[in-house]
Parts: sequence; C-alpha cells; structure tokens
Amino acid sequence: MCNNIYKPELMEVTEIIDETVDTKTFRLKLKDEEVAKNFSFKAGQFGEYGVFGEGESTFCIASSPTRSDYIECSFKHVGKVTTALRRLSVGDTIGFRGPYGNYFPVEEMKGKNVLFIAGGIGLAPVRCVIWNTLDLRDQFKDITIVYGARSVQDLVYKRELEEWKSMKDIKTVVTVDPGGETPDWKDEIGFVPAIVEKISPKSENTVAIVCGPPIMIKFTIPVLLKLGFSEDNIITTLENRMKCGLGKCGRCNVGNVYVCKDGPVFTYTQLKELPQEY
Amino acid sequence: MEKIISYENLTKLVDGIIQSGHIAIGQDEKGINWKRLNDAKELKINYASVPSNLSYKEFLFTKTEPVFYFRNNKDNFNLIEPKPEINENSKIVFLGAKPCDSRSIEIMSKVFNWDYKDKFFNQRAVQSIVIGTACNYQDEFCFCTSVGLSPVSEKGSDIFLVPLDDKNFAVKIISEKGKEFIAPYLNLLADENISLDKIIVGIKAPEKKFDTAKVKEWVTNNFEHKIFDDAGATCLSCGQCAFACPVCHCFDIVDEECDYTCGRRMKNWDACQFGLFTLHGSGHNPRETHGKRYRQRVAHKFKYYHDKFDEILCTGCGRCSRGCPAGIDIACVVTNINTVANQA
Repeated sequence: MCNNIYKPELMEVTEIIDETVDTKTFRLKLKDEEVAKNFSFKAGQFGEYGVFGEGESTFCIASSPTRSDYIECSFKHVGKVTTALRRLSVGDTIGFRGPYGNYFPVEEMKGKNVLFIAGGIGLAPVRCVIWNTLDLRDQFKDITIVYGARSVQDLVYKRELEEWKSMKDIKTVVTVDPGGETPDWKDEIGFVPAIVEKISPKSENTVAIVCGPPIMIKFTIPVLLKLGFSEDNIITTLENRMKCGLGKCGRCNVGNVYVCKDGPVFTYTQLKELPQEY
Repeated sequence: MEKIISYENLTKLVDGIIQSGHIAIGQDEKGINWKRLNDAKELKINYASVPSNLSYKEFLFTKTEPVFYFRNNKDNFNLIEPKPEINENSKIVFLGAKPCDSRSIEIMSKVFNWDYKDKFFNQRAVQSIVIGTACNYQDEFCFCTSVGLSPVSEKGSDIFLVPLDDKNFAVKIISEKGKEFIAPYLNLLADENISLDKIIVGIKAPEKKFDTAKVKEWVTNNFEHKIFDDAGATCLSCGQCAFACPVCHCFDIVDEECDYTCGRRMKNWDACQFGLFTLHGSGHNPRETHGKRYRQRVAHKFKYYHDKFDEILCTGCGRCSRGCPAGIDIACVVTNINTVANQA
C-alpha cells in the first residue's frame, strides 16, 4: 500500500566522542547505500534515534547538511534509550527515522549577519547551522557565536569552540556561569544574557539564532529586543517529548501547533502566539 | 417504496459475510465491547440500548500491534514487516454502528493521513464496511446533536438501517462501497410501501447542549481559565476516557525484546490524561497537572483538531463520561464553557 512510516533505516555508529561526563556525540552512516544516496536534510531538522529492544529518542541532527555523507547527534544520558545508546560502541547498529520537522531559514539568512547564541546542550542544533554558514562563509556577513554552559566541564564540542575562536573571520565568545570556571579559565564568566548585552552585537540586518535551556532563552530575548532585533529575526527551537515525529501520536503539541511538524524551529513572533504550555 | 430487511434475513446476511471469508464485527452479548462474530446467531443490533462501553475503534486503530520485528544475527540486522492479521481481500464489516460510532473512521483518517500515511490504519479503513443503524436510545450523557450528528445521521455509514419494529429494518444504501458490498445479498431485501422520512422524523434526538464554534472561540482566548483546573481536579488519570472514545488516537511506541537478538516495536494506545504522557527526559513536564491535561483533552477535541482538520474530535457518544470513575462529564464541562462564553 505505502511505506511503513514507523520502520527506521539502519545506521552504523562510525565515531563516538565524549563531550562531557554525561554527553556523547555519535557520527552515524546509513547502512543502505541506495538510501544514503537519496538522503538529505536541512539545518534544524531532527530524527528519531532508536536502540532495538529499548526504544526511540528524539534529537536534532547536530551536523551540517553541507557535510552529507554522515549525520551526527549529541545526547545526554537521562533515560532508558539514551542509557542504551551510551553503551554502544563504534560499529554498532542503531535505527534512524527522519529527517523530520521544519528548518532554519538558512537561504533567507544569506547576505545577512548571523548571531548564534547557545547554552549547554542547546549548542547541538545551533552547531548544525554554524557549520552550515561557515561552509558557505562568503555568503554571509558577520558571524558571531556566543556560547555558555554551567561550568567548564559542561561545555560541549570543546575542540570546535577552539577552532571557531581561532578563525579570524568570525567572533566567538565562550562563557561559563559564575562559579563554573576553573583556575586556568581565560574566557568569559557570566550568564549568557549578560554576555550578549556586554558584547552588544548590532541588530541591523542580523538574524539571531537562540537555543538553550528555557531560562536562558527567557532572559536572552529581552536583551535582543533591547538591542533592536525584530521579533521575526529571533529564531529558536522548541523541544517536547515525541514518539512518532510524524504529527500523529499526540503529545508534542503546544496549543494547535505540533512541534514535530510545524516546528521545531520557531521565530519569536510565532512563539509569542503560542499558549504557555512548553 | 423502500427496501427493508427482516432481522432473520439480516442474520442470513451475516452468515453470508462469514461464509465468504469476510470479518463480521458486532457487539458482544452484554453490549460491553465489539468482537468478531463466529456465528451469525451472535448478532445483536443494539439500536435501543446504551452504547457499548467501548467503541469498535480497536479494529481500526488497534490497542497494540507490532510495526516491525527486528532480528540481530551476528551484526546482521534485519527489520521484518509484520504480516497483516486480516487477509487484504476480506472486508471488515461493522454491524449495527450507531451514528456516534460510524463517524469515527472518517474523523481518525484525517490525522493518520496528514502528510505521513499510517498504512496500518489505512489498510483496515479501506477494508471496512460500516452498516450503521439509527439510534433509539438517549440518556443524560448523549450529546451527538451538539457535535453535528444526530440519532439518524448516515455520515460514515456505507449502509444505514432504520429500525421499523422489533423484526424489521429499512435499508438505505449510502455509499458506492455499500452498494457494491450489498449487491450479492439483494435477494434478502424486500420492497415495502412505507414512508421512511416520517419514521426518521419520529426518532427523538437529544437536546443540543452547546455550540462548538462558540466553545472553540472561548478556548482559544481563555487558555489559562480555571474552568480546566476545576474540571480536571477529580481526574484519576486512568485513561478510560481515551480508551472508550471512538476517535481518540494518541499512541505510544514501545520496544519489546524477547531476548537479546530479537524483538518487536509496538504501537500502543496511550492517553493524554496520563502524567507521563508529555514528561521530558529532564523532568520538565509541559502538562504536569490534571487541569492542564484536561485542558488538552477539551482543546484537542474542540479546537486543535478543528483548526487542523476541520473536524470536531468527538462524536457525542458520551462513553468517556458514562465510564469515568471520577464522574467527569465532558458535555457538562463544555456546556459550562458555552455558558461562560455567553456571559462574556
């Protein structure tokens, strides 16, 4: 009749990186070459990653669509599936369904400045867009990255933070919450909203992409509005518990919006229209 | 001139259905649930008694079913499609569906075909034939007229029966599917000179309790109103309302392992009133209180589904309220909303 929408594709874990004590990044390759040839996604989309016998979990695709022969996902071990994922080694097989959901308006961002703001594991979806823009560097104007975590130990993608800091044509600011620094910490100390205010990026012709814990987003948006960002140019993502990712199982909705199909990417204008149920 | 069928001939029809390898689904003896009839003698058309505790939803959207099997033989992973339990050439014939049941396939089809198509539901929906019946029962929980239906609504039926007396039904052929299906059994029908319209007009309908458009508008603008907390305050989170509902379709996806090398992924009924339904891995829960979960129930039925699919996700059967151990009556809650909306 038609395809089984619940049946995943098989992927092989080809690389595992320990980001923090409880967070890992997997690099994954589709096992079926035909499927791999036709596979594509856009920055911001997500997938259902499954360990057979344990279940599925929802994460964004953390790698850039410009690097298309693999995908990466980063996850913190908190529940049954993520604990099972954590136990896997290179060469193991997982299930993947996706890509699902909408995406960041990377095409519309061309010719503009881009300000990336991320907190904690919220850097995963942002990292996808960062590499997407960096791989097409000449099509974007100024690129600024502000990333913060609770402590130095909680920073993810550390090697890439160093790489971004060393790049001459982008500005990268890394911060940790007060008290989270180590004695040899040379970067910023302070909460993300305060750091954004301190560096006060220009809002003219700039799109801000903001992902992180709800509390960070809550206090960062007023700062951006104060700096003159329009509500349409502040873009974030919503995360809700999902099972199907296909707009059917009924749990990820915020009001009449299904995060899995109408999201996960929303502008602040859209976010303001939603009831406070996320 | 109308077509009529006697109860005896209806039994013969069911016999024919079973003999030709189709699946006849009817109510069980006690009128609690629906079951596959093995013998035409088991047929019961409960047009004048309370709707069964459960609808026949489970024959379309099953309580639990495998979406695939997996096998792991020395790093060689295999995903295996489940075989359909029912032969694809067989019809699934629902016998004696009241208007509040017969609508369910059309309503649920919307969500199962929104962009991604759920082949498990669709396959059964394509195979189904709904023989509906006019309803001669009503109690304080019935509210089909408030959601655009009525005891004589033919919507969703392929063939519609109107009880004439204890022994005879008038037969209306509604859809092409119905016409094709009944063709081999036309000899069981008789012509009778009756005025069906008059009989239909004579069937009493429950009073209309609320206006869905008004309710929808109010829910849109009063998301934080305490009416939802009040309504959900006594909820026990048992999920009866969702399981009994002919159109509630939320589900869970869960793996079952038989050993380390094989197992299956299951799609199971779930319910929005369960506390774990929306619980995040972080511990955050967007709908952590009964009030928020009850609001979801009301809003999904009367607003969200209508926004998305132009359908009210409710047929007014009253099962959720009749069976609620905490006595929560959705029609009462929604009527209250209508009253509050009128006062505003």
